[in-house]
This record gives sequence, structure tokens and C-alpha cells, in this order.
Amino acid sequence: MTKQYSELQLDALRELANIGSGTAATALASMLGRTVDVNVPNVHAMSLADAVDAAGPPEQYVTGVILPVEGDIEAIVLMIFSLDGADTLCRLLGVDPATEIGRSALGEIGNILGTSYIGALGMMTGLAFDPCPPETATDMLAAIVASVLVPTAGTSDIALLLDTDLAIEGAECSFSFMFVPTADGTDEVLLRLGLGDVGPA
Amino acid sequence: MVRMGECAASRSAGDVLVSIGLGSCIGLALVDAAVGVGGLAHIMLPETPKSEVGTAPARYADTAVDLLLERVLSLGAVRRRVEAVLVGGAKMFAFGEDGGSRLDIGARNESSTRQALARCGIPISGGATSGSRGRTIRVVVESGVVTVREAGGRDEALLGSAASA
Repeated sequence: MTKQYSELQLDALRELANIGSGTAATALASMLGRTVDVNVPNVHAMSLADAVDAAGPPEQYVTGVILPVEGDIEAIVLMIFSLDGADTLCRLLGVDPATEIGRSALGEIGNILGTSYIGALGMMTGLAFDPCPPETATDMLAAIVASVLVPTAGTSDIALLLDTDLAIEGAECSFSFMFVPTADGTDEVLLRLGLGDVGPA
Repeated sequence: MVRMGECAASRSAGDVLVSIGLGSCIGLALVDAAVGVGGLAHIMLPETPKSEVGTAPARYADTAVDLLLERVLSLGAVRRRVEAVLVGGAKMFAFGEDGGSRLDIGARNESSTRQALARCGIPISGGATSGSRGRTIRVVVESGVVTVREAGGRDEALLGSAASA
């Protein structure tokens, strides 16, 4: 089944992403004691293959942190760090990026950002979210993004991505932050915002 | 470039079919080196859901194998010479292990693809599957060489002569 979303619905989701990522950036900023800049989020509803292409150079080696979300809706929060960005962030936290502790620290950053983000979404929609433990993987960008999108999209070929870039001021570290709800999850969020009634296209 | 859920076949010398960054997806190559025909399918999921029958056969292992086989045979490949190579089916993340349908899609993709190949009587001549690493598959149509590369690694030949890889 192919889904389509109206402009109004996409705008509402963009606003949710805006508030969610603002909250996440504030959490990161207070942890690092530095300003964190957030750009205006993008909302994309596109085919899975297009979504993988849009993520960036497919063979680029990156570190991905995922935070699966359960509860009233299912979703995955995915953060993509360039290898340099991951190193910089680990150093800001005072840990060695090449060690298990470094990986664990990135996972923890993912945890804090992801839970802040979905906490804000929960406040606005009245939905209860339960974050699962974060996982990290360093691999090809396309492999990471596809491995998140395929199980999330299930039988629908449309992936809905809410993505934002965060940049830590005064450090060479920016990364992308994506919220990827399942198709059912998106419907539920829209319903709670009073913008439901998404029929099949 | 063969993207997720797509498949391609060719008999043009000089063509190289590529799927970059296979995670849980499977890159299935079918080649008949004797006539220089090769095909590649980028399979996403193991089984066609009931609601999707006939919509996107290249996306699902149970239909992609037949589709790709038809494509290479129509380009002049001879069925008894066709060999298969499987790449991908990794488990990048462990999430969803208790969650039914999400359970290890990579492994299910691989087993469903193997079953479909067995049903068609196509031998599997090489592969690089499972594990937790992303992979890129390349099929050099003219020579029938199939290579795999893991993230940060080098191309390795799975089928055909390494020299021309």
C-alpha cells in the first residue's frame, strides 16, 4: 500500500520535529556545556530506495546510533555521525573514540538525544513512548539506513523521515538526527494532532 | 546501480551491475559467464505480503528469484549454466529480536532466497552473507566475475577470475 501525506500533515510533522530536535539539542548543549545549533527539520515521505539515496554517499563509512522506540507507536531514532564527528564528540566527552567506552558514550548521547526528542513528541501528542537500549554500528551509510528503514516500513514502500542536522558550536561536529515512525505510527501521531484521516492514496 | 527493491540484467560488454551498501538486504547475482549475461536483484524482504502480490516482485525473495532468472534467460543465458551468488543478509542491529516480524530480516532474506534458488534448480557458487557488516556487490557482466566489498575493505572475487575484478 502506498501512502501519501498532505502538505498540512507534513507541516505539522515538521513542527513536531522542530520542537523535538530543539529539546534534544538543549539536552546535548547542557551536557557538553556548548551551544548546539539546530537547522529547520526536513520531512520527507519517499520510497525506501530514494530515502537511502537521500541520506548521502552510500558507501561512506559512518557511525550510526539507533534508538528503537516502542509503546503507543513504533519508531526508530537514527543518528548518523561522520567518523570525524564521532571522534570529536567523544573527545568533548573526554573518552577515547577507538574504545568500547567511546562506542558506549555515543550510544549514550543517542539515548539522551533520542529520549529528549520523543519526550517532547509525547508531551505534544499525548502518546506514551518507551525507548529501548541504544545500539551503535560503524559501517556503510546505505547499509545502516536501509537496515533501519526496511523493518520500519514493513509492507509500505514509503518511508517517512523527520530529519534535522545538529552542529556543536566551536567544534567540527555535526550530525544528522532522524525520526522514522512506522506507517501506523505516523497515522497515530497525525490522529492525535487532529489531522488524521490519512487514506490510502 | 541496482537500488533497493530493483533488479537489472544485461548482456552488454562493459556493463557492471552494482548494489552499494547491502545491510539486511540480499544482492542476488545470476550469471552465465559463457555468454556474458549477468543479472542482479536487490532483495529487501523474504516474502511477498498478501496485500502486495504482483506489485514489486524484485523486492521480495520469493518472487525476485523467478523474475531475475526470467530476465537473464531472455537475454540468452542457458538455464543449466546459470550460477548464483548471494551477498548481504547481515544483521546490523539486534533490535526487534523479541518482536516477531522484525526478527532478523537478513537471515530470513537469505534462507528465503536459497529456497527459491533450490526450487529453480540454480546452484549457489559463492557468497558472503550474514555477520554484521554492510557489503557492496559488483557483477561484471561480460566476464561473469562477481565481487564483494565490506565496509573499509577491498573487492574480493566470489565467482570468476579475480584478475579482471
